[in-house]
Amino acid sequence: MPGETNNGMQCNEFEAVLFDALDQKLSGGKLERFRAHARACAKCGPMFAEVEAGQHWLKTLTEVEPPANLVNDILAATSGIDSYRLQVAAPVTYKPSLGERIREWADSFLTPVWVTVRQPRFAMSFGMAFFSLSVALSVAGVKPSDIKQADLSRSGLRRTYYTTSARVVKYYENIRLVYEIESRVQEFKKATTPAEPGPKELKERDKNHKNNTSGDPEPRQERNYSRDENQPVLASAPDNPPAVSVTTNRRFA
Amino acid sequence: MEDAQIVNGLVRRCIAGDAVAWEEIVQRYHRRVFHLCYRFAGTSDDAQDLTQEVFVKMYRTLSSYDVERGAFMTWLTTMTRNLLVDHFRKTKQDRVTDSIDAAPSEHEDAMPLSDQIEDKGAPPDARVQSRETRELVHEGLQKLSPELREAVILRDLQDMDYRDIAAVLKVPEGTVKSRINRGRAELARLLQRTYKQVM
Repeated sequence: MPGETNNGMQCNEFEAVLFDALDQKLSGGKLERFRAHARACAKCGPMFAEVEAGQHWLKTLTEVEPPANLVNDILAATSGIDSYRLQVAAPVTYKPSLGERIREWADSFLTPVWVTVRQPRFAMSFGMAFFSLSVALSVAGVKPSDIKQADLSRSGLRRTYYTTSARVVKYYENIRLVYEIESRVQEFKKATTPAEPGPKELKERDKNHKNNTSGDPEPRQERNYSRDENQPVLASAPDNPPAVSVTTNRRFA
Repeated sequence: MEDAQIVNGLVRRCIAGDAVAWEEIVQRYHRRVFHLCYRFAGTSDDAQDLTQEVFVKMYRTLSSYDVERGAFMTWLTTMTRNLLVDHFRKTKQDRVTDSIDAAPSEHEDAMPLSDQIEDKGAPPDARVQSRETRELVHEGLQKLSPELREAVILRDLQDMDYRDIAAVLKVPEGTVKSRINRGRAELARLLQRTYKQVM
């Protein structure tokens, strides 16, 4: 019966010292009373036997030998996140460079994409994409040999940059010179030709022409065909010019 | 120098970026972590992956370890245990110990789990230390519920004291003892069915 005293030990006391007994920490009279209770009590005895047996079985499990490459794998896996740990743990002692940070940032979204892309089911898609690209390039006239011959070294790229910049500047200077000459020529032309009537005068003339409602033909403008004094022909002409008779024959109907 | 001081020194060096100190930590604890993972997860492959995960996590969070708050071993075991529990939830291999003696399926007359463990026929006493027996005990351990399993593993296989186990499992010491008791008893009952003549 639970709680019953057997050989001076009650069940609750038995349970209290159970772990000491299992851990070999009981000795002397207390151990004797414990054993006596275990033998006599119908509840505590089987329970103790089961727990002790379970402990015994568990003690048979020896430590397993880890795989030989485990340490190397761990070190390889952790050295891959070295910058991250040091960034978190010791920001004063280590600061990742800009390149590393960019690489880390790019890795954060490129890695999942790369993992997805590496799946075999995408192999045919990539094959088709490669084929289409190569066909498009060959149609466009791009040859791989051109790319191969291109100097993609750092100094080569720098040289290409400076050459291209110089070419652009030279082209700009040439264009500027041409425009300057053109504008000078136009200015010279304007200076040498007489001034034409302005738009205001032309307008006035049109207005007068429209106001004439007499029906008469428009009076001919007197034209002075004489030459100026400085014109050498008239200046050298005699004062009495020869008379010229003009006969007009009219036909009457 | 005491072990705790050595470990604290290693941790400090490691946080400062000393790769040698980190390697020493790995060398020192990888066996223990692997053993814990193996007994909990059941297979060597899983244990290897989990051990690696534990160390990767430790490497990342080593700076969060506070020397004042407890022993490094307790901190490491807590981390390992949390990772194992997460892994267990993910793989959905949960088993209820109380159902060990019950039918594993919905059929009332189905064979109990304990009866399904194969009896090789040889006397158990003769092979109690044998590899097969250890495998059977290991299999029996996997049948326990995670709560009981982790308690008995930490106590009987990792030799941790009850206070540290309570700290790792975040339960009172009394609960720890109760779980250890129940775990051992369940395991014994399970194996007793197999080796009736010994028990």
